[in-house]
Amino acid sequence: MATTRVATYQKMYVWELPVRLFHWVNVLCMIALIATGLLIGSPQKIFDAAEPSQQYWFGTVRFTHFAAAYIFFFNYLFRIYWGIVGNKYARLKEFIPYTREKLADFWTVLKVDILQIQVRRDLAEGHNALAGFTYFIAFVIFLFQVATGFALYSSMSGSFIPRLFVWMVPLLGGDAWVRQWHHLSMWFFIVFALVHIYLVFYHDWVEGTASTSSMISGWKFRKPNEIKRDD
Amino acid sequence: MNNEVPSIWQSMKAKGYSRREFLFFCGVAVAAAGLKSSGLAQVVDAFEKKPRPPVVWLHFQECTCCSESFIRSSHPIVSDIIFDTLSLDYTETLQAASGFQAEKARDDAMKNNMGKYILLVEGSVPTGENGVYCMIGGKTSEQILKEAAEGAAAIVAWGSCASNGCIQAARPNPTNATPIHKLIDKPVIKVPGCPPIAEVMTAIVTHVLLFEQIPELDSQGRPKEFYSRRVHDTCYRRPFYDAGLFVESWDDDAARQGYCLYKMGCKGPNTYNACSVTKWNSNLSYPIQAGHGCIGCSEAGFWDAGPFYQHLGSFPGFGIESTADTIGTTAAAVAAGGVAVHAAASVIRKRKLVLEQRAEAAASEALYEEREAAAAGKKAEEEEGGEEQ
Amino acid sequence: MTRVVVDPITRIEGHLRIEATIEGGKITDAYSSGTMVRGFEKILKGRDPRDAWAFTERACGVCTTVHALASVRAVEDAIGVSVPRNAELVRNIMFCTQYVHDHVVHFYHLHALDWVDVVSALSADPVETSNIAKSISNWPKSSPKYFADIQTRLKTFVESGQLGIFANGYWGHPAYKLPKEVNLLGVAHYLEALEWQKEIVKIHTIFGGKNPHPNYLVGGIPCSFNLEDVNAINTEKLNLVAKLIKDAQTFVEQVYIPDLMAIAGFYKDWAAIGGGLKNYLVYGDLPTKGYGFPDSYKFPRGAILNRDLSKVYDVNGKDENEIKEYISHSWYKYSVGDKTGLHPWKGETEFNFTGPQPPFEQLQVENKYSWLKTPRWKDNPMEVGPLARLLVGYAKGSEEIKEVVDGALKTLDVPVEALFSTLGRTAARGLETRLTARWLKEFYDELILNLKGGDFSTFTREKWEPETWPTECQGVGLSEAPRGALAHWIRIKDRKIENYQLVVPSTWNASPRDAAGKRSAYEESLLETPVANDEQPLEIIRTIHSFDPCLACAVH
Ligand code: HEM
Ligand code: HEM
Ligand code: NFV
Ligand code: SF4
Ligand code: SF4
Ligand code: F3S
Ligand SMILES: [Mg+2]
Repeated sequence: MATTRVATYQKMYVWELPVRLFHWVNVLCMIALIATGLLIGSPQKIFDAAEPSQQYWFGTVRFTHFAAAYIFFFNYLFRIYWGIVGNKYARLKEFIPYTREKLADFWTVLKVDILQIQVRRDLAEGHNALAGFTYFIAFVIFLFQVATGFALYSSMSGSFIPRLFVWMVPLLGGDAWVRQWHHLSMWFFIVFALVHIYLVFYHDWVEGTASTSSMISGWKFRKPNEIKRDD
Repeated sequence: MNNEVPSIWQSMKAKGYSRREFLFFCGVAVAAAGLKSSGLAQVVDAFEKKPRPPVVWLHFQECTCCSESFIRSSHPIVSDIIFDTLSLDYTETLQAASGFQAEKARDDAMKNNMGKYILLVEGSVPTGENGVYCMIGGKTSEQILKEAAEGAAAIVAWGSCASNGCIQAARPNPTNATPIHKLIDKPVIKVPGCPPIAEVMTAIVTHVLLFEQIPELDSQGRPKEFYSRRVHDTCYRRPFYDAGLFVESWDDDAARQGYCLYKMGCKGPNTYNACSVTKWNSNLSYPIQAGHGCIGCSEAGFWDAGPFYQHLGSFPGFGIESTADTIGTTAAAVAAGGVAVHAAASVIRKRKLVLEQRAEAAASEALYEEREAAAAGKKAEEEEGGEEQ
Repeated sequence: MTRVVVDPITRIEGHLRIEATIEGGKITDAYSSGTMVRGFEKILKGRDPRDAWAFTERACGVCTTVHALASVRAVEDAIGVSVPRNAELVRNIMFCTQYVHDHVVHFYHLHALDWVDVVSALSADPVETSNIAKSISNWPKSSPKYFADIQTRLKTFVESGQLGIFANGYWGHPAYKLPKEVNLLGVAHYLEALEWQKEIVKIHTIFGGKNPHPNYLVGGIPCSFNLEDVNAINTEKLNLVAKLIKDAQTFVEQVYIPDLMAIAGFYKDWAAIGGGLKNYLVYGDLPTKGYGFPDSYKFPRGAILNRDLSKVYDVNGKDENEIKEYISHSWYKYSVGDKTGLHPWKGETEFNFTGPQPPFEQLQVENKYSWLKTPRWKDNPMEVGPLARLLVGYAKGSEEIKEVVDGALKTLDVPVEALFSTLGRTAARGLETRLTARWLKEFYDELILNLKGGDFSTFTREKWEPETWPTECQGVGLSEAPRGALAHWIRIKDRKIENYQLVVPSTWNASPRDAAGKRSAYEESLLETPVANDEQPLEIIRTIHSFDPCLACAVH
């Protein structure tokens, strides 16, 4: 009798609107940055005029990259801010498995979800500890990408933000290496997105917690007996 | 004796220049420096009184191309520089004396002009095996460099060799070739390039002499005057780049129309040098104009940032084909494989889970019914009791 | 017996040390040592073969481009590709340009001060200098006023007390034989040549983007022709090339050659000094029908033994028994033992410094004493360079070469044997400059003809992508650098450089003895050289300079 099961789930508000906004702005920027970045790295013959005065598509691609880069950067800064003032699921400390409890969660997630050598566990309300940690790594690499990107950009722009990152250039051994690292770390995002999207759907499918739609609605569902912490 | 040495004015006079021409020359120098016209008197004064500044040019691990480039200078022409503007007291490439007479010329120049001579260094210094990879007169280059650096008023590192080790410092750097700034604790004006442009070289020397100041340097010690822009920023092929019009293969139609060389591996976007503005050999051309991409010859470590015909270099230790993209696609393929395996495993596990869930659901239904029944019973009891009350 | 050490030898490229023993005013033994190494052959391993030209070009900035040429040829030989005719013509034009530039600079700026006494020019009569100048050439800059101005400039310079590059020269040495007036002529042309040399190299700038170190390309040349576009080599650029060629010919014919002949006339005693080895080796160069056809070369290939001009031996860079490098007196070690010679395809470069720790006074010449390896052709020490080229060309009956050689011998009134000497070497360099300046025009004309016929191609595409190469291959690129026979050997495995060896002209000439104790060219040529003053090594540097040493090349 289906109605009987509904009664065992609890609806809870996890992702506040700013977190959700951040998330989707970030996703859009990322798509734009990867697409334009790949084109910058290996431009394809998209349009083919006879004279350069007839088109500016590569300039436009680069402009899109830089525009998305600025949005990406401010969105990122905003998320850091929200990580300080937001609700407990949004807090930055959620990203780091620093408590014994979280560390334990980290290992169980690894065993249950990834290695599948154990079957049951208590579910976290926000991110699980392992997911949180991958977001932490992602945030660090976001910063690296921003730093290398703006370091490259500093040779084309004298404005304040790019100049903040010029020190990256000698650190990495010249523009050529900055570019290489910038290009390489793009692949982190591609791999991250691949695994991340899969896991979101996977969790929804196995646990039925509506994790997929939670980033849109903000709500998750939990069976009361599966909720670990009860405050 | 210093006061017997002719000034720049005297040597210009000897060459037949009139006083008016001399003053005009000073005026040009002032204007070029952007000094206020009150600076004119100072410049005239400087050129009139000074003996030719002594210069010591050392040669270490090098191909002598920097010297070769230097003598290509068209403004000033090099004979004016070495005979009238300064006193080139030591340079193995051109000096008349050999052996100990040559070394004496160097040592005299240093002794008699302690703290006043300009030191120009071409080549890197190998520090491996106690310096036996470069010895002159039985001494190591490191020893010679350190002695010469001590009394130098200004030190210039010519070319990529002296500035960043250049080719001999490329992996695996068999001799431990070291750029000079790592061995001396004085400021070094770096003039990278393999070689640097002739007129850039002579301009840097004359900058020091004319304006009596070291040109402003960037964070890496290069004169901003010539190294603050990328080749790409002022490349005449830039409109093709922005339009996305690229040479796709050597000598294709695009190449014959001078499209951008980005896809042929041009390193202009990563390279700080004056090539696209100052150009080479009396402003005639530069690598890109002659159809070959820039190989980044003024950038530190450019030999290891190749291969030259690839837009991005390869990561060391992965072989020549391993670019960011080969590493990245491999990682992505591995991740996708992992996801696929994981998904397959999950399908199996999910079945188990579903069974579990069903059992659980059945149990919870039983529980529910039980509770329901119990509750109903209790309710009935309560009702009865209530009625009693 | 005195031991003379000359280190540094100046007015050369690189770091060369000569130790000589002198007895009774003559050199009885000599040791030549290269004292700087960079390790190119180690650095090249594992890299993209198509990049090798840029690396090897940096072996030397004085003979810039020649290593690039040898390198692209080695790779093209290995992967099996030949270049379009236009590319070959442009390479030939760049080659001849290099010769003309390098030889003129060597004569005036590296060699002249061995023959020209700058101080003596101070007291010359400019009118007399002008008369001499006009008698030997039509060169317009030859008025008395012109030489008087040069003399005033020189005076001011000398009187300043700051002698710069002339400080401590061997001025007044008894071996200087020129009249004062000729010395003044030499000084004037020293300055003119210094100004002129920056022009001729513009040909490199047009086709290769810059000089020094213009760009090359495996499979062709990087520049393209387009007569309808300003963004490629067009008529304007070709006109500039034509002008530069014309100016170069004028300078060579009206300044260099007359000066050379005039100066040589006063130093005929040096036609009997400094001959050294009797064997000469030439790989040949300047293909007129493709690199694969050595018979078409302007400089023919071949070897001469024992100065026997009646027989020219064939030379094969791929025959593993012909060319070998020894290291018994070089600071290296071989896995097969230090006495065995290795063909460059199997060559090894492993440092093994056993010399005295610096600072030191003298080398241990009985052991290893140089960073140069010792190349041998069929175990013979060989001299390479302009003299070898003219001798092989002469012996093989090249009309053009015979003409200039016989002409010079007649002008100087000396027999053919005079060529086997310090003076002969210096003269040969001038004579081949005449030839290469003429050939510049020939190649240019053919290029124009090709373009006129509608052939614009400068690159062969088929083998550009490494996927099209065999997984293992090997090649050799033979060339004639200004200083002599130059070759690069490459082995490619999995599209990367597995082994790369350079055997360079100055390696042949400046190397230490071989395993059998046989001297190479520098050491042999110094024997018997008279030395007037142990303290002033003028005669030593004269003979050494006649080879135009390049030690960065030699060691790499
Ligand atoms: C996730 C974020 C980003 C990704 C995936 C990404 C990706 C890329 C890629 C693949 C390239 C091509 C590199 C090459 O092969 O030469 C590139 C170029 C570049 N990126 Fe990004 N990027 C990101 C963020 C940024 C940011 C935040 C900036 C900051 C301004 C930035 C600035 C640049 C610049 C300046 C270039 C060089 C463009 C040029 O030479 O015209 N990128 N990016
Ligand atoms: C269909 C696409 C996506 C869905 C449905 C989705 C959903 C989610 C969900 C449900 C969470 C919360 C995870 C948790 O419960 O621990 C999350 C977090 C996150 N996702 Fe996604 N995601 C998607 C695509 C992406 C992409 C493409 C990226 C970037 C490469 C991304 C980056 C992130 C990041 C950085 C977080 C942590 C957010 C925070 O804590 O602020 N997501 N996503
Ligand atoms: N030896 C030598 Fe070179 C020449 N000519 C090279 O091949 O000088 Ni630098
Ligand atoms: S920087 Fe380049 S050109 Fe200058 S000496 Fe070094 S290798 Fe030669
Ligand atoms: S040719 Fe090179 S430097 Fe010039 S615009 Fe293209 S990428 Fe930039
Ligand atoms: S290769 Fe060097 S010469 Fe200029 S165009 Fe590039 S920096
Ligand atoms: Mg070698």
